[in-house]
Amino acid sequence: MRLALLEVADLVVHYGKALALDGVSLSVAAGELVAVLGPNGAGKSTLLKAISRAVPSAGHIVFDGRPLDDMAPHLVVAAGICHCPEGRHLFAELTVRKNLELGAYLRRDKAAIARDLEHVHALFPVLRARGAQQAATLSGGEQQMVAIGRALMGRPKLLLLDEPSVGIAHRLKIAIFAAIRQIREAGTAILLVEQDARSALGVASRAYLLEHGQIVREGLSEAFIRDDRVRRVYLGV
Amino acid sequence: MLNILVYGAVTSAVYAMLAVGFTLIFGVARVLNLAHGAFYGLGAYSCYLLTGRLGWPLLPAALVAVLFVAAFGVAMERFLVRPLRHSALAVLMITIAVGLLFEQAMYLLFGSEARNVPAFSNATWSYAGLDVSGQRLLTLGFGIVIIGLLWLFINRTRLGSAILALSQDREGALYMGIPADRIYAVVMAISAAIAAAAGVLTAPFLTVQPTMDLLPMIKAFSIVIVGGLGSIPGSILAALLLGYSETIVAYAVSPAWTEIVSLVAVLLTLILRPAGLLGKRAAF
Ligand SMILES: Nc1ncnc2c1ncn2[C@@H]1O[C@H](COP(=O)(O)OP(=O)(O)O)[C@@H](O)[C@H]1O
Ligand SMILES: [Mg+2]
Repeated sequence: MRLALLEVADLVVHYGKALALDGVSLSVAAGELVAVLGPNGAGKSTLLKAISRAVPSAGHIVFDGRPLDDMAPHLVVAAGICHCPEGRHLFAELTVRKNLELGAYLRRDKAAIARDLEHVHALFPVLRARGAQQAATLSGGEQQMVAIGRALMGRPKLLLLDEPSVGIAHRLKIAIFAAIRQIREAGTAILLVEQDARSALGVASRAYLLEHGQIVREGLSEAFIRDDRVRRVYLGV
Repeated sequence: MLNILVYGAVTSAVYAMLAVGFTLIFGVARVLNLAHGAFYGLGAYSCYLLTGRLGWPLLPAALVAVLFVAAFGVAMERFLVRPLRHSALAVLMITIAVGLLFEQAMYLLFGSEARNVPAFSNATWSYAGLDVSGQRLLTLGFGIVIIGLLWLFINRTRLGSAILALSQDREGALYMGIPADRIYAVVMAISAAIAAAAGVLTAPFLTVQPTMDLLPMIKAFSIVIVGGLGSIPGSILAALLLGYSETIVAYAVSPAWTEIVSLVAVLLTLILRPAGLLGKRAAF
């Protein structure tokens, strides 16, 4: 078996006394798109935050052969994990352009940064026209594009995407999922957290189902689509 | 008229130098630094020590004084504020403690009498019946240059973008790989250095005494409340507003009434517009 790009084992996260993740193990191979499904409050965002080292955790996280457990958050970014968080967390008063540039904060390779900016503009053409606009003035869908573009500007080996389609107009949602597919086809591994199970399973090759901080199902996307419980609860059929 | 115009500008420049650093460290690190007045006082006293006691020429003394206070600010952030950052109240208390410590230390080291710091310029500028000391004009000039440089730094440099990013969304900044602790240290250094520069520049025409940190602290605080906590344009606007109001009151009513002005401005702001004139807007 191929050595996974990301290997998470027995991850446990507490918020005070409350247990948010209860022994989660999962893996993502290089270039693979893996979905994490589950209801609100299951611990999906917490899982991504723990991988980014934004919340303390017990257990093991190995990325690209290196343990992340004691790494500072900015070194995790430098190692190649870029996080597009739930709620976007854009720099609201800065321009779209400056938001995208901040995504490349740790990089010094000016020419490659300029090329990556071109890639982001090609992926989301609307952002080129909006470059000089304050991020806060964009629509929700456009802001999500800025958030994804900003994460891509860090040149990730692994992109963490937290609910990229929540609260977004249908047309933009389609554009965002098309972009996610393109990002994966360009070779970037993605760990995708999504409420919309149907769209997520449409782009992912494998999926995990997280409930109450535990992985309760895992498998190929096709198997997930045929799974009775997943169909009933998450696909509404 | 000309009096009010020039003296108001000088006062505003000093106030702006005091307030921008105070608002910056709040906007970026959410630290309400009540030791900010101590930075100002420490700048003046360091300059006094180097020139008055050790006989240094003024220019190197002024530079070393400002750098020393910047280092003091960084050390304070690193060893006193950072370990307590989980509690805003504890941070507030430790900054008050540093302010009091400054007063006691200066009292023990240099006594309670007022000290003299030499002026860069002893010339007097006279025009149309107005006499202004060269030092005051220099203070005005430096104030404008320092704030201009701060603007360039924040808007045109990589570190400046990191400061803006942190002040607008800390979690977002974390995911960009911006090392927050390092940026806080930079901001503390800038904040302390600008306050110390104000101390060095105004020391020749104000009094250098152990309690000299209090009034600037009150001014910085008032300006930042009027301008909006965390907003640099707001604090510059409020510095002009208070600087000129005080000067007008001093001429039209009596210099004894000037200190009331900022307190009234604070009360009015808190009642009418609690977020301040440019409330909520972050740096620049
Ligand atoms: N900062 C926090 N402090 C305390 N509890 C939290 C915090 N963030 C999340 N939680 C709790 O942890 C659980 C998992 O949250 P989260 O990871 O956001 O779930 P999901 O992303 O799947 O909706 C929830 O019960 C939530 O209330
Ligand atoms: Mg979530």
